[in-house]
Amino acid sequence: MLKSFKVEKYHAGLVSRATLFKALQYLDRAKIETPFLLIDSEKVREKASLMGRHISNAKLFYAVKANPDIKVIKFMNKLKAGFEIASEGELELLSSIGVDASRIISSNPVKTFKFLKIAASYGVDQFAFDSMDEVDKLVKYIPRSRVYVRLSVPNEGSEWPLSKKFGVELDQALDLLLYARERGLRPVGITFHVGSQCTNVYNWNIALDKARSLWDMARNRGLELRMLNIGGGYPINYTKNVVGIETIEKSINKLIYERFPHDIDIYMEPGRAVVGDAGIFVTKVIGKAKRDDQEWLYIDVGVFNGLMESVGGIKYSYIVEDSGQTRSKRLWTLAGPSCDSFDVIDKNVLLPDTEVGRIMLILSSGAYTISYASEFNGFSIPKTVLI
Amino acid sequence: MIKFTEKAPYSPVEYVYDVEDILYKGKSQFQEIMVIKNPHFGKMLILDEVVQITERDEFFYHEMLTHVALHAHPDPKKVIVIGGGDGGIVREVLKHKTIEKIYFVEIDEEVINVSRKFFPTVSSGVDDPRVEIKVMDGADFVKKAKAADIDAVIIDSTDIIGFARSLFTAEFFTAVRDCLSEGGMFVTHTESLHFHKDMVIELQEALKVIFPVVDLYTASIATYPGNWWVFAIASKGPSPREVRQPFQIETKYYSDEIHMQSFMPRGMYDRLMQRKLMW
Repeated sequence: MLKSFKVEKYHAGLVSRATLFKALQYLDRAKIETPFLLIDSEKVREKASLMGRHISNAKLFYAVKANPDIKVIKFMNKLKAGFEIASEGELELLSSIGVDASRIISSNPVKTFKFLKIAASYGVDQFAFDSMDEVDKLVKYIPRSRVYVRLSVPNEGSEWPLSKKFGVELDQALDLLLYARERGLRPVGITFHVGSQCTNVYNWNIALDKARSLWDMARNRGLELRMLNIGGGYPINYTKNVVGIETIEKSINKLIYERFPHDIDIYMEPGRAVVGDAGIFVTKVIGKAKRDDQEWLYIDVGVFNGLMESVGGIKYSYIVEDSGQTRSKRLWTLAGPSCDSFDVIDKNVLLPDTEVGRIMLILSSGAYTISYASEFNGFSIPKTVLI
Repeated sequence: MIKFTEKAPYSPVEYVYDVEDILYKGKSQFQEIMVIKNPHFGKMLILDEVVQITERDEFFYHEMLTHVALHAHPDPKKVIVIGGGDGGIVREVLKHKTIEKIYFVEIDEEVINVSRKFFPTVSSGVDDPRVEIKVMDGADFVKKAKAADIDAVIIDSTDIIGFARSLFTAEFFTAVRDCLSEGGMFVTHTESLHFHKDMVIELQEALKVIFPVVDLYTASIATYPGNWWVFAIASKGPSPREVRQPFQIETKYYSDEIHMQSFMPRGMYDRLMQRKLMW
């Protein structure tokens, strides 16, 4: 039986017709075993080519954690992107397809010993840090490595704030850069992260102002920096249209141009912005229930096997398979398949009434879904299919 | 004057039309059907809030969707028209003297009836004895067509993702190929080259899996968002770019000359398919 879906205006802003067409062609062809994640490779190519297009001297390092599926990694490798990693597992992925160490950086300020050991033998030599202990670790494992200090910057307006865990203030950052030099490392730059899914363009203003101050402070101490890593944070469309990448980049480029020497390297580490909206989660409605006056809809993917970010506030958009009849829309509480009461994806989701067994598509789900998934309760981690 | 705002989900622009009169508004089993009158375009047929045809300019679309395929064939006798309940394609096909049989397959009979009543100049051919009306899903009809004796299959459907989806699957394309005669042509619309280039490419690629020859031509349609409208055309061998019979029918826009110039230059077509056209 051919599956059809009623696409509404607000979906159209989130997923292109070509992506949907390809996804549906796939659903027609294959014997479907839900849940799984479809990634439109054309969309990834399109988004990757947008990254850094409007920033001078920009180099792209794909944040592997967003979606470490080997097919995605191979595809990014073909596009000649660099990679940003944090662990031996991610490095193993890259080494399995022969990515050159010069194209790999690690911006995790606190690395494991195992990772450092393997990174050293592979030849990775660009690392973020934000503590003296980390400098000491790096001196021990990769003595001449190039390092960049992580500044703390405001994360207001980003839907997935990060800054509290990492980053230091200006004075401490300067001390750390000097300490790294003293210990024989090569301090080359500064990094920061405005927070993932950052829709507040002003965050980059503050971050770049702060980075500029540190840049000058370093120069006054005889330390010439030459790299600025602006991290990630570009937002994608989940339920509504956000500021476009081009707009953000033009603004960032101007800010950098006004504040920094014009020949420095700009590194960027987008993850979500590359793969997020190329992904469509294909799931199935497995149950419906009415409890008190709440209507519950259960699907076979939930908080533990793919939709972890829903807990942190990411709201997804859904397209329910058309049953051929016009059905009224209702507000649902949407829940995953596990027995845990924490496994509630969202509340008050307006969706047409549907039947158990129907397919439900979850849009913009290419990033931080499978990479967060666990096998809790025996539900296996959904597969990724590149189309 | 009240206004009608079109709700084409994928259009980045919205078209707003003056409404002189609402002549019909009803709901069929499949969609909402509306006929309005506009001072410039005359009567307009609207399905699910998307403009399908207008009295004033319907011929651009109907002529271009029909005559390119039928002139690329030397001697078309049997044709399947799927969708196009308004009858515009059937009217155009009947202009060819060689035609013996048209299977007119429309899933929504209401559209045919509304057109008979409000668009008599468009639906003029639907009751011709050579026309056999089949109210059913076009995909099911083509699947059951056994002999490879159809000279053209013409799709005039609504949205590719919505309930017209069965007409855009690999299974359907295969069934079309198998029912076509050796010189037979398959033609379907594919959105705007301005707004939905990626969709145009995807459909060309999907067709190339099934047909050895796949091409596209364009025409400018004022009332379709993005205007620069693409028609995908495919065959089992002969190039649709060639005109294989003398141009003798009466048309307002199509001609043998238009036929030749409506196809993309080869170089541009290649660049499109390599995704090198950047807009």
